[in-house]
Amino acid sequence: MSVIHPSLVLIATVLVLYLLPGRLWRWGVVGGPLLALLTVAGIKPGTILSYNFLGYDLLVLKADTLTLVFALIFSIMGVLGVIYALHVKKRGEHAAALLYVAGSLGVVFAGDWLTLFFFWELMSVASVFLIWYRGRRESLAAGFRYLLIHFLSGNLMLFGTLLLISKGNLAITNLTATNGIAFWLILGSVAINAAIPPLHAWLTDAYPEGTVSGSVFLSAFTTKVAVYVLIRVFAGTELLLWAGVIMALYGVVYAVLENNIRRLLAYHIISQVGYMVAAVGMGTDLALNGATAHAFSHILYKSLLFMGTGAVIYATGREKLTELGGIYKAMPLTVILYTVGAFSISGVPLFNGFISKSIVITAAGESGYGIAELLLTLASVGTFLHTGLKLPYFMFFGADRGLKPVKIPLNMHLAMAGGAFLCILFGVFPTLLYKMLPYPMNYVPYTMDHVISSTQLLLATAFGFFLLLAKLGGEPTLTIDTDWFYRKPAAAVFQRLVYILKQTKVRLDAGGNYLFQFVGPYFTNPFLAPRKLLRAIYPAAVDDEFYEGEGALTYDENRYRFPLGINLLVAVIFITFVATLAIVF
Amino acid sequence: MQRLTWFGIASLVFTVLLDIIFHDPHHAINWWHRLPGFDALFGFSGCIAIIVGSKWLGKHLLQRHEKYYEKGE
Repeated sequence: MSVIHPSLVLIATVLVLYLLPGRLWRWGVVGGPLLALLTVAGIKPGTILSYNFLGYDLLVLKADTLTLVFALIFSIMGVLGVIYALHVKKRGEHAAALLYVAGSLGVVFAGDWLTLFFFWELMSVASVFLIWYRGRRESLAAGFRYLLIHFLSGNLMLFGTLLLISKGNLAITNLTATNGIAFWLILGSVAINAAIPPLHAWLTDAYPEGTVSGSVFLSAFTTKVAVYVLIRVFAGTELLLWAGVIMALYGVVYAVLENNIRRLLAYHIISQVGYMVAAVGMGTDLALNGATAHAFSHILYKSLLFMGTGAVIYATGREKLTELGGIYKAMPLTVILYTVGAFSISGVPLFNGFISKSIVITAAGESGYGIAELLLTLASVGTFLHTGLKLPYFMFFGADRGLKPVKIPLNMHLAMAGGAFLCILFGVFPTLLYKMLPYPMNYVPYTMDHVISSTQLLLATAFGFFLLLAKLGGEPTLTIDTDWFYRKPAAAVFQRLVYILKQTKVRLDAGGNYLFQFVGPYFTNPFLAPRKLLRAIYPAAVDDEFYEGEGALTYDENRYRFPLGINLLVAVIFITFVATLAIVF
Repeated sequence: MQRLTWFGIASLVFTVLLDIIFHDPHHAINWWHRLPGFDALFGFSGCIAIIVGSKWLGKHLLQRHEKYYEKGE
């Protein structure tokens, strides 16, 4: 059976998008990802699609069970995302989103490093437009910073790839414990995309500046594609365990301080991806399944949360907690659907976060990392505290600021309902997800002690929240993060360098002018140099100062020219001479 | 609000009771899994610690006024 690459389907959709007239292109936008989803669903494990490029046999599509879980959730997300974005009139924004999804699927299906690199870059380039289409000055600047960091990631990936290929390793294999230069280069590249601190600031810098629907796509793909590569290439690298634990808590701490609703959620992406990265670090079958399952769940609930906050921004035009509040009556459906996402991310039983996060936490305990288990549990306290309690409380309830939210388009509600449905579906029937997971495991999420301890944890958190409610409101502040280093000191150094460069130019100009003023006269008057030399040696030989100094006559060649007659005479003599010679000989 | 608070506390106590009743020491990997009500205590103190700790960090190190980045760029 012949197989079509799902990314190709999406890239073709982009072309069709620009060809379809009138309103038809809207259907193309939905049709493309749906076709891609069907294509992914039709791919069997073990399918390989190769393509000969410059003498390399590229494996543009190589599917196994791990690939297919990720491909499935990415293509489901593609469909939900385009439905959410359907009211957007700019074709370019849709095209960027579709190419971004195509890039993500391309990375997931890539069987060799070159193919992976190509789609890795496609993701960066396509996704930045989802930020720029917002059209604000801040978005433009944030987009450029985003691009800067992702080009760094791409270059690290390229160097690593070239090193591996030069040793004849074209196919993607597990690099754990190889510890070569290529290992560190590629790990660095993937760490940037997975937003592991201190390389994470691009995410919280750029995601809140994206368009309402663009950020929904952004929240789902880049980091989870990186998690996929981590599972595929770096499973069992213990360093990642602690990196992941730090990530999980880092996001939580910053979320306490954040006032921008989507930036708060962006910090919780870092926190949630921390669970996956930590699980990759543990490297056991259970942990890797946990990372996969949590990525799957996370894409659904995090996009749902971004859709909910996006709906609030769409309806009110505001994005700060200090400017929001009291809108629950105007948008009840959004409140309910957001809450489904919030319960999912918090790990409330019967929602999909519970069935995946608990795998990671259990895996930490079973691998003998008790401290990691406790810290990850602590991070989930922070998650519920912020996305489950603080954000909805101050966004939807809290102080009534007299806002008049506009009506939200049907397609936004549809996409949110779809996401919420899937969050609950997988939460209630975890085996639907578990049977797709790539490694063998024997894990039951709904045991008495799991449910009891989760419920205790969540209730106690809620209790703490209402106790400290007065302290928790948004503050009209900005929190500095590692992007400070390139936005403040590096920017200052850069500006200083530009200043030095400008000064150097001014000095060079002045020096050049002086030089020309000095040597200029020697070129306009070829006799000046010998004249000066002669006067230095024998002053009496040079009588007049006529041709030098201020007010000197400029050089005039006619002054030194022989009269025309003499020239003619010489010419006639020469011709006569030649003619005589010709006659004689 | 008052009623909600009492409902919350009541269900918290209820889950701790459930924890004691359905105590299953075989399922525990680390010692804290054997303590009944550990998660309630951990959740509450963790919540307070996260809020107080982060706010402290924010006040002393991380928070700036909203226009902080605008003039430098």
